[in-house]
Amino acid sequence: MISKFINKHRKPLTWALYAALAVVVLLFLADQLAGKKLARIVQTTISGVLVGGVYSLIALGIVVINKASGVFNFAHGWMMVVGAMVFWSFFTVAEISVVGAALLSSATMLMIMSAVSVKSLREPRNLLITAAGIAIWTLLMTVGGIELRWLHALAGTVAGAILTGLAVERFTIRPLIGQPLFTMVLMTLAIAEVLHGVTQIAWGTVELNLPIFVDPATNSKFKVIRLDAFRDALDGIAIVRVELVIAFVLALIAFIGFILFFRYTSVGLAMRATSEDQQLAQSVGLRVRVILAITWAVAAILASIAGVLQGGAVGLSLNINFVALRVFPAVLLGGLESIGGALVGGIIIGIVEQFGTLINSSEQVGTDLAPYVVLMLVLVLRPDGLFGEKRIERI
Amino acid sequence: MNRLRFVFALIVTLGLIVVPSVAQDMMDYPSDLTECQVDLTGETISIFHFGDLSGPYAFITQPIVSAVTDAVSYWNGRGGVCGAELQQVYEDTGGNLEATQSAYDRFTSEYADELDLLLLYSSNDGELLREQLAEDEIVSFISAGSIESLYGEDGMTPGWLYASNPLYINQFGSFCEFVAASPDTFPDPVIGFVTWPGAFGLAGTEPAAAEYCSNLGVEVLGEPQIFLPTDTDILTQVQNAIDAGATIIYTNSLASGPALIAGTLVDLGMEDEIALAGVNWVMDTSVGILGQRVLKSNGLPSVDGIYGSMPFLWWTELSSPGVQFITQQFQINARTPAEQNIAYLLSWGSVDSIIETYIRTVNAVGSLDAVTGADIRATVESMDYAILGGLLHHRFEEGMRDATQNRIAVLKYANADFSGAATGPDDAMMIDDGAGGQLFVPIVVPLTDFVPAPQLRG
Repeated sequence: MISKFINKHRKPLTWALYAALAVVVLLFLADQLAGKKLARIVQTTISGVLVGGVYSLIALGIVVINKASGVFNFAHGWMMVVGAMVFWSFFTVAEISVVGAALLSSATMLMIMSAVSVKSLREPRNLLITAAGIAIWTLLMTVGGIELRWLHALAGTVAGAILTGLAVERFTIRPLIGQPLFTMVLMTLAIAEVLHGVTQIAWGTVELNLPIFVDPATNSKFKVIRLDAFRDALDGIAIVRVELVIAFVLALIAFIGFILFFRYTSVGLAMRATSEDQQLAQSVGLRVRVILAITWAVAAILASIAGVLQGGAVGLSLNINFVALRVFPAVLLGGLESIGGALVGGIIIGIVEQFGTLINSSEQVGTDLAPYVVLMLVLVLRPDGLFGEKRIERI
Repeated sequence: MNRLRFVFALIVTLGLIVVPSVAQDMMDYPSDLTECQVDLTGETISIFHFGDLSGPYAFITQPIVSAVTDAVSYWNGRGGVCGAELQQVYEDTGGNLEATQSAYDRFTSEYADELDLLLLYSSNDGELLREQLAEDEIVSFISAGSIESLYGEDGMTPGWLYASNPLYINQFGSFCEFVAASPDTFPDPVIGFVTWPGAFGLAGTEPAAAEYCSNLGVEVLGEPQIFLPTDTDILTQVQNAIDAGATIIYTNSLASGPALIAGTLVDLGMEDEIALAGVNWVMDTSVGILGQRVLKSNGLPSVDGIYGSMPFLWWTELSSPGVQFITQQFQINARTPAEQNIAYLLSWGSVDSIIETYIRTVNAVGSLDAVTGADIRATVESMDYAILGGLLHHRFEEGMRDATQNRIAVLKYANADFSGAATGPDDAMMIDDGAGGQLFVPIVVPLTDFVPAPQLRG
């Protein structure tokens, strides 16, 4: 009789079970947080949201690739490292080598102009554009002195990111068009190892200082914002780290831009179509190769931004790669193909990590347990993530 | 030229001004090596090592390869060791224990006849291979192992690994002694751990350490606050420790780890109230450079004043012939400034120690072919040897597997004439970083003499 009742009411009973579990978790959290000052709760929330902003930016790069090609990019962490290292190379060197800059510009422009086909480089118009692009890019990387290092670094990093993205797409992903997605995913693992090796050879493994969040007046990091006005109300002081606010704002701008891009531009719409079925997209006239190339270039730029922000906040080392691994739950939580989901997922994971650490830091609850418990619960309730697209496959 | 290059170039240049003879002539090898009684011409002595050269600890360990390469080159350029050529055999495990096991399996099968002595870098690797090394009778030198790797799970069973630094738990005990002896500096000492996870990060959090410190009048908080090398923000961990009553934060972390804690204390406005300390790795140059992102209220970098163990001589102690020699070799081999760290320094010491071990063992057994792991072990345990003339000391007697001498030092920044520590930015030595900014020059100032470290493992 009991089994009959369970079978008949399986769905509401499952929901009731989850609700009961949620209540238990909430009661546990309330008990754990009861003794904490309000300032700590507020501080933890602020830290969680801001750290989550960095996670969101990283998640966005992974989602963009997935949205356009259906590939989960395991090399994203190493693309972050490469981008940040290129930025460092331009940012901390007083005299940029013109030859080096010209080589980077040339390689990037040749990759861009040959995105459709190598033959297109033979056209005089394209050759002219390539030459002009090389000249302008080289100039941006080398013009002036150290006072223009932001310009040099940005120009160099964008060139480096585009080159990385296009090279990855051209030489590893493009040959696999039409092959099972799993092959491409495995290829991203191989790309990760190659980028790892290249980074190690080019920049070594020593941790580097990337002083981007530095107040020129004091030559030290931006002072934190102290919420003194709320000291009495919070029964303590809470602070806001400026570099994380900058990262958060950049993440928001990127999100808004990409949401608009995918919804309203022809390239964005073509990317979405390509992710649905590359062969079908090609058959209706979409240039799948070009679309994939653009996607990888954009993702590499996003990875570079995230790498630079992370490196500037804590120091630039190969360990930055591991941050991307911590972001994977955020990507799955938000939904693999959802731009907005990446933002929400990143922030949720950031908050969960910080509150887990507040409650129990000695057992690494915040980093090793809580995000995955939350992810597990969400995936059980919503297998496609919070904002993922529900797919129905007809058999 | 990047920032690091400027800093180290300056430090080395200043050192050479202090010791002008160094720059002029090639120095003699500073060790008092045992005389060779057996001619090994035509033979090869291999220096085997593997560990994390590209993973989380890479920024510390990578210069090991450079130092061993330079040392091998130095010796082979002078006819080798007793006529035998030196060669380096190594592998990168990326900090992955499966790769460590794989490397060990490969080394022991491929070099079965000659692998009697192995250099390791990590406590985790030491723990993994402890029993296998004993079974295969292979001696291992390691910079600082965990209790389990050196003395087994019971902390009482010496194995085949020998550490050149004191156990981290003993380093922590040394620090407690220093704190207890400095009531003016630490009037109400309560130590909270804010540290990395793993065998390295959590070393020193054992109850025995807390009990020892408590008996000295230094309270140790029970719950370590753990953070990861990838953490963007550790405000929560640091505040947890402070809320629990910590007046001193102790860390087993490297490079950006101590710098991140110090920066967070400044962000909280607590840098004058909470002291920061850690194991020997917090004294590394990387901390002195990375800690310059944030300035304290006195205008000096956030890590100015961080305490740590210094159980060996440091680059700035140029009165030592060993340090002079390594500095000269560093320059001759045009090593990058970022390599001028603890690992490069100690790896020259490891090679020196290996050479002395082989000379003594070959003298005892009559030939290189006849040397076994057991012979090496017997030599190691009977040696009393000043490595590179005093860089550190090799003495493992009565079942000891880690160094017994330690001293406490403080990381400071040089004053304008490089005669001592700066008190603020006005009297600090500032150098152009080559990118429009200026940098302070980190120095390590010993606060105590070498004294026996407490033995807290069992």
